[in-house]
Amino acid sequence: MTTFQRTPIMLAFALLLGACSSVPTTTSLLTQARADYASAQASPDVARYAQLELKNAGDAMAQADAAANSHESLEHINSLAYVTKQKLALTQEVTKQRIAEAEVTQSGKQRDQMRLDQRTQEAAVAKANAQAAQANAQVATASAQASNANAAQAQLAAQTAQANAAQAQLKTQEAQNRAALLEVELKALAAKKTARGVVITLGDVLFGTDLARLTAEGMRSAQRLAKVLQENPERNVLVEGFTDSTGSEAHNQQLSERRANAVRTALLESGVAGERIAMRGYGESFPVAANDTQGNRQLNRRVEIVLSDESGKTIAR
Amino acid sequence: MNLTLKTSLTIAGGVVIALAAGCSSMKTPTTVDLAVSQAAVDNAAAGGGAQFAPADMSSARDKQALAIKAMADKDYQLASDLAAQAQADAQLAQAKANSTKAQAAADALREDIRVLRDELARVR
Repeated sequence: MTTFQRTPIMLAFALLLGACSSVPTTTSLLTQARADYASAQASPDVARYAQLELKNAGDAMAQADAAANSHESLEHINSLAYVTKQKLALTQEVTKQRIAEAEVTQSGKQRDQMRLDQRTQEAAVAKANAQAAQANAQVATASAQASNANAAQAQLAAQTAQANAAQAQLKTQEAQNRAALLEVELKALAAKKTARGVVITLGDVLFGTDLARLTAEGMRSAQRLAKVLQENPERNVLVEGFTDSTGSEAHNQQLSERRANAVRTALLESGVAGERIAMRGYGESFPVAANDTQGNRQLNRRVEIVLSDESGKTIAR
Repeated sequence: MNLTLKTSLTIAGGVVIALAAGCSSMKTPTTVDLAVSQAAVDNAAAGGGAQFAPADMSSARDKQALAIKAMADKDYQLASDLAAQAQADAQLAQAKANSTKAQAAADALREDIRVLRDELARVR
């Protein structure tokens, strides 16, 4: 009975003495902690980012090792091993944290650079837009100026056309006026329209008998004709002299020529150019009446002035 | 016989205690250890330990409670060990919270950069 009761006590003794032996105590937790520590020591990231934390874990590791070497209670050794493991885990977490923070710093710079790029790009786009807008505005201004110029040109053309029209109208008016005036003056000269054109007859009374000189009244008629010719420079005249059958034919021929010449001279003196005046003597040919009475003979003694048409041509007999 | 047994038992117990005391480095009351570990637990809780490392955080709290109990039981060695473990757990919880936050920030930045790069590429 007594020996039976003593056995457990002796066993306890043996255990406690064994615990104090020189072989260090080892626990699975301690082994794990050592493995964790070795891997943390091998990590370059840990060495770079969590040196202080690794050192703390190393201190804890040393404490656990010391406890194991001095055979302290398993509970205590395990507790120290556990703390070491947690400190190593913390070392890894701190390493991760610092890596992330380093990335934040780096990425922050990168992002700032990219934002700068973005702003630069936006500014460039805005500038390009502004330039395009300006270019458009210039084009618009230029086209507006061009259309202004066109409008001005068109207006000028219109004004020119209007002026031309007015001038043409004026010319027409003038021509009409001149035609009307011509008609009036020709009427005053007792002109007759014939197939050869307008014919003005200067009668015998305008010449002295057998003379080739114009009387004062004949002179006035010539001057009036000269005025008509000056106002109608496109018209020319053919002066034709005629006599009655009294006297020799040669004399009459000469007389008719002299009388026609007298009219020509009078016209020349009144300022009509010589090349505009053609002249013919017909003697006693082409009587307008029979040479039987004094009155009829007088009708035959005459000078006929044929006024050309506007082309300047006269038609001779 | 009965008396002899009692006496021998008492002696044996004394030897056990003496041996045990000699092999361990018993510390004097660990009030300071407990205060330090409590502070670590509180810090970790404030630093998002419960959110980012719930297992470590609850482990820290449990061990802190056990340490306080051991202290009350005057088991100073246990109290000290548990306090050290609670502190290690709490610090790990906080470190996990910190590293998670830092990684989240890095991820957000990475996403920012990806978006920016896309935008830049689109404009070009």
